[in-house]
Parts: sequence; structure tokens; C-alpha cells
Amino acid sequence: MKLKYTAFTLALLAVGATHAATEADVDNSFHPYKKGFPTVSGLNAGITINKGNVDQFKDAFDSGLYDMVKDGWVDIKVAASTDFPQPKAYIEATRQNLGKIKLGPNNGDLEGYVAGRPFPEEPDLNDPRAGEKLAWNFKYGANYGDSGAIYPFYWRYRNAASGQIERTIKFEFHFLNLMHRVEQPPIPEITPNPSKIYRGTYAKVYEPVELKNTQLLIHRFDDDQKLDDGYLYLGFQRRVRRLAMGQTTDAFLGSDMMIEDFEGYNGRVSEMKWAYKGVKNILVPFFNHNEQQNLTDEYKEADGYKFVDFHGRGNCMPNVTYQLRKAYILEATPVNPNHPMSKKVMYLDAQTMYPGRVVIYDRKGALWKNFTIGKAHPDHHLPANKGSDVSLDDSFSQVDMQSMHCTTGQFKVHIDAKLNPPRLFQVQNMRGGD
Amino acid sequence: MQKHENQREWRQKALAAIILTALAAGAARADDLPALGDGDDSWRVDVIYENATHYRGKDDTGHEVGLSKFRNTLQVELDKKLASDWDFHAILRGTFDGVYRLNDDEFGRKAGSRRASDLQFENTVSKSGGIVTTVPWGGGLGANGGPWNQATAPFGYPGGNELVQAIYNGGATVGVMPPGLVANTAFVNGSAFSVQSGVGLRMLGDRWHGPDGGVAIAVPVRPCDSDKRGCRDFGGYGDKDRSELEAPEFNDRLDFIREAYVKKTFNIGDDTSFFLKLGRQQVVWGRTDLFRVLDVINPVDYSRNNIYDELQDIRIPMWIAQGEFRFGSSELMQDRNLSFIWNFDKFRPNNLGQCGTANVMLDAGCFFRGMASLWDNGGTVANFAHLSDGSATLAEIGMGMPIGTLPRDMWLATNFGPGQIGIRKVHLPSWSLSNTQFGVKFEGVTQGGLNFSVNALTYRSQLPSLHAFNNAQNPFVASQKGGSSHLIAFDMHFPRVNLIGGSMDFQSETLGAAFRLEGAFTKGEEFVNTARPKLYSENKVFRSVIGIDRPTFIPFISESRTTLISAQLFYQHIFDHEEHRGPLGKYGMPDWKDNFIGTLLIKAMLMNDRLSPQLVMARDFKAHAWAVAPQVEWSLSDNLKLTLGANIKDRSNDDRWAWNDCRDCNPYPPYTAYDEHTGPGPLGLSGLEPVGRFRAGPIGAAWREDEAYFYLRYKF
Repeated sequence: MKLKYTAFTLALLAVGATHAATEADVDNSFHPYKKGFPTVSGLNAGITINKGNVDQFKDAFDSGLYDMVKDGWVDIKVAASTDFPQPKAYIEATRQNLGKIKLGPNNGDLEGYVAGRPFPEEPDLNDPRAGEKLAWNFKYGANYGDSGAIYPFYWRYRNAASGQIERTIKFEFHFLNLMHRVEQPPIPEITPNPSKIYRGTYAKVYEPVELKNTQLLIHRFDDDQKLDDGYLYLGFQRRVRRLAMGQTTDAFLGSDMMIEDFEGYNGRVSEMKWAYKGVKNILVPFFNHNEQQNLTDEYKEADGYKFVDFHGRGNCMPNVTYQLRKAYILEATPVNPNHPMSKKVMYLDAQTMYPGRVVIYDRKGALWKNFTIGKAHPDHHLPANKGSDVSLDDSFSQVDMQSMHCTTGQFKVHIDAKLNPPRLFQVQNMRGGD
Repeated sequence: MQKHENQREWRQKALAAIILTALAAGAARADDLPALGDGDDSWRVDVIYENATHYRGKDDTGHEVGLSKFRNTLQVELDKKLASDWDFHAILRGTFDGVYRLNDDEFGRKAGSRRASDLQFENTVSKSGGIVTTVPWGGGLGANGGPWNQATAPFGYPGGNELVQAIYNGGATVGVMPPGLVANTAFVNGSAFSVQSGVGLRMLGDRWHGPDGGVAIAVPVRPCDSDKRGCRDFGGYGDKDRSELEAPEFNDRLDFIREAYVKKTFNIGDDTSFFLKLGRQQVVWGRTDLFRVLDVINPVDYSRNNIYDELQDIRIPMWIAQGEFRFGSSELMQDRNLSFIWNFDKFRPNNLGQCGTANVMLDAGCFFRGMASLWDNGGTVANFAHLSDGSATLAEIGMGMPIGTLPRDMWLATNFGPGQIGIRKVHLPSWSLSNTQFGVKFEGVTQGGLNFSVNALTYRSQLPSLHAFNNAQNPFVASQKGGSSHLIAFDMHFPRVNLIGGSMDFQSETLGAAFRLEGAFTKGEEFVNTARPKLYSENKVFRSVIGIDRPTFIPFISESRTTLISAQLFYQHIFDHEEHRGPLGKYGMPDWKDNFIGTLLIKAMLMNDRLSPQLVMARDFKAHAWAVAPQVEWSLSDNLKLTLGANIKDRSNDDRWAWNDCRDCNPYPPYTAYDEHTGPGPLGLSGLEPVGRFRAGPIGAAWREDEAYFYLRYKF
């Protein structure tokens, strides 16, 4: 008992010992490259890294991607590092709320949060709760801004060994922040919101016909201790089915993605123990979509939009350019001992607070999955997205290294508030379908 | 001619209703949801082919049924974005079931008996003595000699034939029946049945039970173009020719249009919208699988695969206007919606399946057809006429039998003439405003995440109710009609029912499960009740279902994907239930006062959800009947899926299904009186027919319909 008390006191002291965030911290957090981009000797734009030369650049890789390149899964084409500016209103909200936000006594408790990046200060390895702070930065990140939509969104299930495409699913996804809004009116919250829903995620399937009109709705609450609400509309049942959301570690519609894997981590802060493991400059697929040389027009779009293509073993990896960027290594260990993974290591991009790379380990601690998400600059994408300052999801790859299977995703993202009205995120909307 | 006039009238009214509603709705501002995938204004067309092949094992006669379904379905799903943000959706479905030709001995033009002697009707000479004889079709009391009196004695009871013969021929004074009885009555002689009338028949219920001392009738089983006997429109089934059974969607109700509707959302305020859906559609209320507590707006076609198909495929779409005010959230609730549905389609009941086809829910279609044929044509009824006074000795009538006196527990096969017993008319509600159906539902989500609905619906019962009209030909007195009570001569009605109910769902983090609850109280439903002079009563009913869904990691199935375990318990209570005890047993309502049915689904998803084994188990606790349905689905590609499965059922203690059959109801005293009678009404004599089916339930009544099946589904 005494030992516990002492540890708790030390932890509180440690929290208190971290310095209060400043304007300079905000500036550094959102403009980490104002003094220049990171470099690695010999790692120049235009080169290709393959199993033959990957050892030369080992320090520029996370362990999961390094192993894949070394093993011949994929060659990495390197492009120049670029700035991915974040929404100005989000940055301003961060400034306005400096010093007002602090962690509560328990993991998953946050006090005083209004909007913006909660903890813009550089994480400190000596801060025992630094990982938790990064997790909050991720949860309240500017991903999709206040709202965003993806259509079409193609998922493919692939046999990594043979390259066979086993299933293609055509989705529509919508995201809406009901709280902590900074840009799209109403600000800061869509009211009334009696349940204090922070974020809604709505998805609908268009193909294949077997899954047509399947719809998923997830409500995440601002109270991180409160379990998400989830609803599934099954086209063949014509009925909304309440989901037991304690189980988000299921393969979503048979893919290699768990619901918990969406966007790198789609769960509550309180469901993981978070540990900050340091900072590293690594290669991640951040790029200008319109400048990619290997886009595919396999899916015809009226506006001529082309999707990211996939290559490498089993066509499991995005065929895009990578750039060297600063990342925080954030380790998440499930609180639930029955969780199918032992830990996931997220490489949070320092500027966007979004993980370009995630490595997942199974219960025994062996490498299980390699998750890669490609981010596109909004000014080099659809014309309507230009100037949004939202780093756009453009591709994802989840490779199950044990079963030699992968799921790939090809996005067409739209940042447009009109596409995400609140009633789209009401359960009743699903009942009005076909 | 009148029929066509009626049809034209209701269609015109329906069209007018659609146009008026659409015009009214047009006054609001369009603000449809920006569903990106629906934004394309070109036609989206999906074409799907499916073959369903079922093979059925032995029925209760010991006969291997064989192929029971070879259905080929072509389904076209159409979607189009229309002008002014209207969306159009349609599903067209056409099927052809080859089973009526490929297995015509069982379900086609060669089904049923080849000759009258294939059908044997019991004469219980002495129930206590176990003496039973049989007569062929047409050979019952009233046959009065001739080739129809070919009673056959069971092994070990010589003399049974002779006794029956003596009584048939009026050669004995037995009880209140005078000598030469048949000569003065309206019971028919066997010669009133044409020779062919013994062809194409089966004994009612022989697929799932033996006669067992109860009443039995013969029922025609061939398609109605081969045999019109007993063919009636019971509400979309019962009078179908072979071609109509083969391709059931192509009928005068245009059932090949499974769905065709337009929908749109109108913004009528800052946070309020109005959703409108007009056309032929399914409206689904409730939160449970399989059980229809609130999900009663559309009738259901059980002829497709009994209770074992997805409801989406067997709901009968109706022309419905559905309007929903979506108020969004308030300070107290996260979501609030008020919806109205107006089912302005001409009434249709559930399709229970035409007799002679593979899926006849509760075997009811056979009971209806057999009774309709009995009314139209007359027929033999097994174990019916009771000789009440047992004072005469066998010696007096010259019989040498193992028992000394004339048995008091004797019931003889009897030949009824046309217009005496059976089903006379089907009163299907015609189209009128007062016959349309209306519902309202408030659905919301509370601040704490509880989803709930409150529902009210006024509708027509989708199940028929048989009313004894007590005005048929008295078979004992040829010159007398009417004046009876408790007479098993019926008209079919579909009463109006009012329902109020509600539902809710919530999740438990502790249990890792989601719960679903549903309950409804109805007023106006009618049930068989042999205690009542008209043989039915109106009773209030409460039904509820509680369901629990728990995705569970079962490591030996999959370590990365949960297996869904879903359990449900259905409960039904009939208020003012009547169960009386008479001198010969119980009588009143055959339906259980309180009944429970449980289901359990275990469904795994393997190989990235492309392989899905599942096991469904169901138990009807009161009927002591159960079903087990293992199945494996395999998606070879996005376009091709194969399904292999089986459906196995069994029961125990099926004697508990027997119920008072009203042969003892004494409709024409003194001719029909037993010694125990003091007036009309039952004494409690029971058998499995005709109302044991209500106690056996859909699982018990189909316990001899074990099937293996294979489905191939391909999307072009």
C-alpha cells in the first residue's frame, strides 16, 4: 500500500514537474520543420530503397517497414520532405487554450479541454504520462478537420502470397466532430448534444451486392471512460442492430482491420496504457497525390480522379513516394488482458499527430501486422480540398505478416461540411435506407 | 368481372393517394442527405441469380419425399437518383421452381392417391379394446353397401369388420340411431363420390402424424389446374395452378415487383426533417430475429421456406406511405423521431402455403383445402360418428367379438355430403378506406444511450380465423338446415387487430453484450375455442422477446475474429385463456396459455469472412419440439456464393399436441349426443387433427420435414 502511494505521488510530482506549454511550444509543434527538414546521409529525393541498400538507411525506418523492405516485400521511393500545415483555426484554438488543460487522476481523464491540440509541448521521456498526452493529441487531432467524407473508398482483401484479390468492398465513410469544433460552424459544439458525443463515424457499403447497404454508426463520447455506442444496419435484415462495442477487436467485415485499427487507433485513451518511447525521423508515405506517377484509373471517376495503386508482394503496399519526417514513438499496451494484441507501436507524425506507420504485435509479442497509411497534401488533391489544411488520408495497407494476407484501402476524400450533416449520424438515418 | 372492378378501384385509389401525398410533400423544401454514393444519377442495376435445391427425407408415412425445392431465382435491383433529390429503388424478382415437374409424384400432377383404397379411414370399434378397422375413401357411414364397404380388419380382431358392416347397413338398433339410419339422412352414399374422387388425395396431416384414433379427412394435393377440389383463394394462395406455383411472383398482385418506391428527405426546420417513402416496400419494426412481435406490418410468405428464410426475402411488400418526422436531439434525448405508416394496399394475409406444395406452415393450408373440399364435395371423415348407447350386446346383433357388449368408445368413419361440414367462404377484406392499416411509432435515443420505440398499429390479422356459422345442412335430417351450435362448418375471417408495444436495446460493457427487448399487446386476435358456440374467441395477447448478442472469442474457432453468440427467448401469453375439463378430456383453446420458444445462433466468420459456418437451434418449450440447422456459407468471390446446410427437427411427447376436435360437440342433438351430453358443446374428446397443429407449432408440425439444401448465388 505504501509503495503504491509513493508511486502515485511520484507520478503526480512528475506531471507537475513538466513545464507548462508556451507559445513557442505551439509554434514548434505545428511547424517542426521551420529550421529545415531532417536528413539522413545519402537519403535523397529520387532514390529507391530496396532490400539491397536498406541497411544503409536503417535508421530512417521503423522496425516493421525495415523488415518488410529487407525481406523484399516492397521498394521505397523517396521524395523530398514537405510541409503539411494544419488548420489555422485548430492552431489558434491550441494557443487560446494553453495552460488550461491537464490530465486527470486516471488514465482517460482530461480536464479543461476546449479545442485544439491539448499538449503541444515536446514530449519528455522523463514524463511518465507523456505517452498519455500524445494519445490525447491524437484523439483530438485535426484529422479530417471538423468533418470529412470518403467516397468512394475501396477496400481490397488480398492474398499476400499469391496476389489474388479475394474481395473488393466499396464504401462511403463520414466523420463528424460534434464537439471541440474549430472551423465549421457551429463552433465549438453542435447542440443540443445531451449525450456529449464527441465524434460520429458513419460508413455504408455499396459493393459487393452481398454486403450492399450494410451501414455502421459509431458514437464516441467526450467522456473517455464511457464506452462507444455502435449500430450496424444489415441490408439483408433491414434492421438496425445494436453492437456490443466492448469488442472492437474483431476483423471488420472480414478484413485485416479491426474497428480499433481505423485511423491507426480507433478506441478510447483509457483502453490502453501509453508509453512515450522517444522521437525518430522515419520514412512515411506523405506525398502530393496529383504528382504521384503510378496512380490507377481502374475505378472510373467522372472528374478523372485516380486512386493510389498498390505494388510489392501481393500488391499489399501503396505505390507512392515516402518522405523523411519527425515521428514520436508511442507504445500502446491494452488494459484488457484478453486483447488479441500485446501492444501496438504508433509512429505519430510530429506535425499532424497522425501515425503514418503502426506496428502491431500479437499476444505472444511476435510481429503481427504492419499498418501503413498514406497522407496527401490537400493542395495537391481534389480542387475542393485545396486550402483546407487537412492532411488527407489517401491510402492504407494493413498486412497480416503471419497469415500472409493484407487489406488495402484507396481513398477519395472530400473536406466539405455539407457532406456531413449531423442527422447523417443519427441512428434513424440508417433505418430510412433501403 | 366484379373482381376486376374491385382491383381497378383500389389501384386508382392507391395511385391517387400517392399523388396527393407527393404533392403535399412537395410543398416542403427538399434537403436530402448528401449520400455521396447515391449521388450518381445513372441507373444502378444489380442482377443476381440463385438456385436453391432442397432434398427432404422420409415423412411420417415412411415415404422418402425426395426433391422438395429446385427454385431458380432471377432478381434485379434497380436504383436511380431522380430529379429534385428523389431516390428510386426497386427490386424485381422472378422465380421458377422445377420441383412440380421434377418430383411430380410428390408435389405435381401425379401427387396423392392413385385409387380410393390408397386412403384408409379409421373406424375405432373399441378404443379401450384397441379394435380398429379401416375403410377406403367413400366407405364411411352412409355408404350403405356396395363396393365402398370394404372395411378391413386389423390383425387380431376378427369380427370388427362385420360389426361395422352391420351398423353401416342399419342392421342393428344402436343407441339413438334408428335402424336404416342412412336411408333418411343426408349422409352420402359412396356412389355420390365419383371414382376419380379417390385420386390425388392424401390423408390430412399424414406427413407429420398418424391417425391415432382421431378424426381425419382426405385433402386434394394436386395443383388446382389438375384438381380443383378445395381450391379457394385463402389470400394469395390455395387456388394456384401448377404454373402459378412454379412462378409465384407472376400473379395479379404483380408480386414480381418485390419493391418499388421513391424516397426523399425534406428540411422543415432548423433541426427537423421529414422523411417520406412511398411505394411498394417493407416496413420493419422491432429489434428481434425470426419472431414477429412488432414486425407485423408486412405479411409473410411462409410458402417459400416455412420459417427458415430471412424475413427480407419472405415479407410480402405492400403499397405503403411512410412519413417520418426526424426531430434530431433535444436537451434530454439524443434522437427523436415520429413516424407514421399507412398501408393502403388491398389486404393480404400471410401465405401459409397451398396444400400439395413443399412448405405448408402448420400444415394449415392442407386443413383449409381439405375442409373446403369437404364443404363443396362431401367426403369421408375417420373416427367420427359415435354410437352413444352401449346397451345392446354384441350377441344381439349377431357378432362374435372378444368383448361382450357393444363398445361405448366407438367412432366410425362417416361420409358427409356437400354443404354439411367444412369451410364455406373466405371473407377477404376488400379494398376500402376502413380496411387500410395505420401505424405510428416514436423512436428515440436517451441521453444514456438507451434506444427505444413506442409503437401502435391497427391492422388486419394476417392469420385467418374460422367462425362456425351454424347454418349448414343437418346430415341427420335431410329436410333440415341450420339450428345448430358448435358445428364444424366455417367461414374464414380476418379480424381487425389493434396493437400497442415497444422495444429497446442497450449494451452492457460488463457482459460485453448487446440486449434487445420487444413487447406488444394486441386486442382483436381470434383463436380456436371449442368451448364457444362459434368455435372461436377473441383474446388479448401479450408477446415479448428478449435477445442477447455477444461476440465471443472462441480460440479453437478463431483467435482473431469473434464468434457471434445470439440467444433469444420468445414469450406469449393469451389473456382469458379457456381450458375446461370435460368428461372425456380437455376442451377450449388449443393454443398454449403461456408459451416460450428459445433460439440460439452460433455464427463464426473465417477466411476473412468468406467462410461462415453457423448453427441455429430452436426449442418450442411447450410443444416439446426442436430444430437444429447447421449451415456453411462460402463466398468464392464477390460474385459467387455457395451455401450448404441442413434442417433437422424432432419432438417428444407429441400426444400433448392432441386437443378437443369437436366431433363430440353435439351440434344436432339428439342425433349427435353422447351419453354424457346435456346439450350442445364438447366433452373433451381429442385427437391431433384438426387443431393439434396449433399446439405443435411451426417446428412440431414440420418435424418430419428434415431437409438438406444447397444454394448457389451469382451476381452478374
